Amino acid sequence: MAYPLDLAPSSVVLMVGTKRGLFLLTSADREHWTITPTALEGGRVYYAMLDQRNGRRMFAADNGDFFGSFIRYSDDFGQTWTQARQGIAFPEGSGLSLANIWMIEPGRAHEPQTLYAGVDPASLWVSEDGGETWSMNEGLANHPTRADWNPGAGGLCLHSIVVDPSRPERMWIGISAVGCLRTDDGGRTWKFANKNTRASFLPDPYPEFGQCIHRLVQRPDQPDSLYQQNHCGIYKSENGGDDWTDIQNNLPSEFGFPMALDPHHPDTVYTVVEGMYRHNVTEQFCVYRTENAGAEWTPLTVGMPAGPEVRLGVLRHGLCTDSLDPCGVYVGTNTGQLFASADRGDSWKLIAEYLPPIYSVTAAVLA
Amino acid sequence: MAILSVEQAVSVKLPTALLEHAANQQAIFVPSGTIREVIDALEERFPGMRFHLCLEVGELRPFVNIFLNGVNIRYLQGLDTPAPAGASLLIVPSVAGG
Repeated sequence: MAYPLDLAPSSVVLMVGTKRGLFLLTSADREHWTITPTALEGGRVYYAMLDQRNGRRMFAADNGDFFGSFIRYSDDFGQTWTQARQGIAFPEGSGLSLANIWMIEPGRAHEPQTLYAGVDPASLWVSEDGGETWSMNEGLANHPTRADWNPGAGGLCLHSIVVDPSRPERMWIGISAVGCLRTDDGGRTWKFANKNTRASFLPDPYPEFGQCIHRLVQRPDQPDSLYQQNHCGIYKSENGGDDWTDIQNNLPSEFGFPMALDPHHPDTVYTVVEGMYRHNVTEQFCVYRTENAGAEWTPLTVGMPAGPEVRLGVLRHGLCTDSLDPCGVYVGTNTGQLFASADRGDSWKLIAEYLPPIYSVTAAVLA
Repeated sequence: MAILSVEQAVSVKLPTALLEHAANQQAIFVPSGTIREVIDALEERFPGMRFHLCLEVGELRPFVNIFLNGVNIRYLQGLDTPAPAGASLLIVPSVAGG
């Protein structure tokens, strides 16, 4: 098996987590792609990412069907993996057992040994030694409302982690069927940040918590500007989540999972919305783009499949952008197709067709 | 740990997926006791093994099966089932498929 160990700087590496392992797609020009399997072949890889703050360490959330879920890391682009020395396991007496690991996120640039992980049952885990050992955030674990949190169909999963790059005490998380929470004291306490987001499936459609947030992303230039795709709408906040504005506007559905933005033009946001059966709303599969922070959305269809047989779904981590300008956009489906755009979504190309169901796509431009 | 004779010990056979966590030993001999104590002994020798077999709340993982002399312990006393000296334990994942 060949591994892309000698990639040139500025090459793009896509990490594609699937129902059966992790794959890498690599390209020097974003036109020609090489698919390479990694040594993670059998597990459900919900998420993987490349952390370049300390060299090139790849992390994966490897969820086994039989013998447990583990954070693993690789320093050779997936050829070999090391299991975290003290991984994620709930303390005895907590009454909780790890179901799945959903997300691994690097900490701030100035804290290169810090990483965060989100899991089901909803909890936030922190490593301060580059992923070797992990500990649970007690503030969230002991949240006074925790007994009233109820899982949705995907489990009680903490799937989104957003750090404030400029204020080390502030960060946000997203938990399905609970909502968005923010800490302003470094994780000691967490308060809900769900005002004006709907939970149409509850008796009170605007509760303090219980909203089913699906994905949370942040403008890199304005840390308090957030976007979220929700079970019940697409929203923007310009005040750190104190309140939210519905930006569905001309999108044909309020429901979808993924969301990503153009880091160089953060009024440009991408999402995929779906109908009630969790696939493309019309016979045209597409990604939607706004270039004015949600005032108007445009379906991006060039190169995308259409027809009565096209029923593609995209999961919450199945859409991402890269850090180049113009940015690349990548979307993977829950039936194993991976589409790429090198021109901000104006046109698309199918770059992988027979992958297992895709859970996540992340992109790294090699330093 | 005292050296056990084969007759005094419980032999444990792990599934292929877990061999790398047990120095690739095809058969492991541990003192007799309940299945829970056998797992404790495995954990002592191979740290992390318990997490592979059991949930943090102490129950056997739902798709892990342990057979004591050919009988699934779920049909005995679960993790409290005694595994006497000379017994053989087979640990296997549930059948996956149709």
